[in-house]
Amino acid sequence: MTQALQPTASQTVGPFFNPPIKLDGLDKAFDSGDLITLEGRLFDGAGTPIGDAMIEFWQADGAGKQASNGNAIGAQAGFARIGTDSEGRFCLTTVKPGAIAGAAPHIAVTVFARGLLRHLFTRVYFAADATDAVQKLAGARAATLIASAVSANHYRWDIHVQGAQETVFFDF
Amino acid sequence: MIVRPLPPNTHPPRDFQGYKSTALRHPQQPLLAVPQDALMQAGPRFYAPAYAKHTDDLTIKGPGAPLGERIIVHGKVTDEDGKPLTHTLVELWQCNAAGRYQHPVDQHDAPLDPNFVGGGMAITDTQGRYQFVTIKPGAYPWRNHPNAWRPAHLHFSIFGQSLLQRLVTQMYFPGDPLLAYDPIFGGLPSAKAQDSLIARFDMAGTKPEWALAYEFNIVLSGSPANAGGTPAQH
Repeated sequence: MTQALQPTASQTVGPFFNPPIKLDGLDKAFDSGDLITLEGRLFDGAGTPIGDAMIEFWQADGAGKQASNGNAIGAQAGFARIGTDSEGRFCLTTVKPGAIAGAAPHIAVTVFARGLLRHLFTRVYFAADATDAVQKLAGARAATLIASAVSANHYRWDIHVQGAQETVFFDF
Repeated sequence: MIVRPLPPNTHPPRDFQGYKSTALRHPQQPLLAVPQDALMQAGPRFYAPAYAKHTDDLTIKGPGAPLGERIIVHGKVTDEDGKPLTHTLVELWQCNAAGRYQHPVDQHDAPLDPNFVGGGMAITDTQGRYQFVTIKPGAYPWRNHPNAWRPAHLHFSIFGQSLLQRLVTQMYFPGDPLLAYDPIFGGLPSAKAQDSLIARFDMAGTKPEWALAYEFNIVLSGSPANAGGTPAQH
């Protein structure tokens, strides 16, 4: 094998990511269809809300397919990016994704923040599923990956980067 | 796209004592090794026509010219094998020449520049190239430790062709004396990792009587040989 190039190293997103990166309208992964909201909060190891994070979401459409169209600001449908507010809150508008490639319906989630020298990958499901490969691998901690239904079209899911309720993060 | 396991010491550790904010913001459980599934192997695409023209020139967004030293920052986005990553979104954000971000949380006692917002984006061309025109950012103090100063830096966000290639990083300038004192840069675990974030001064790329140039090439992990192949086994 030829000598591979050194991959560029990661650094923190910092606390000051500017409006151009928090693109207006990017809090909706899909803006039509049977819309749901996924709301939650992001916490550090002391249980303090992380109010300066950027969270990205990436998912299939309601049929489990990757969208072929873009939204108004030029991002492919299925992608969203939200800056947490001072209480660590985020609120995503989207459609519930279909199952994709044998995995139970889920949304891939990437967390960036001050103090994260490298982003964290996780995912959120809408229900426990004993046949899902990643939920099986997560074992008893799989519950940290599953949103709870507040009502038919409204889900809650908190992310804990550290501590007793620490969310499962992935190494791909 | 399947991503190769990273060479050791590519990225900084998630818990780095010198950088205080990592203490409560790093997972303490080991990361769970999972297959590179179809959703992660894909990744969001971005469509150039949706963006207005000149998003890659940060010096023309205000009513007048921003203060500071105009610079050209350009480079190539490739995978580890040097294959150009075309049509990928590159975002840039930064403070102004005085070391102040146009951001409500930044209260550094330095002037804002009404002609400088400090954010831009570009989409790589068919050779994987991008180019920005901007202003050289200033150093600024922060409260990590007594008399802490960040070296001048540009924030970059790159998507690549798979979510597994996602990268957010910072570009630094060659010869900056503050690099030796900065725990964010200093947390990088090897000379190679540090070198990967220092731009090269590019005399040949300067525009005479207009702007100096810096070259910052970006290498994302990924293996074209396995593109479309089966997910890695763990």
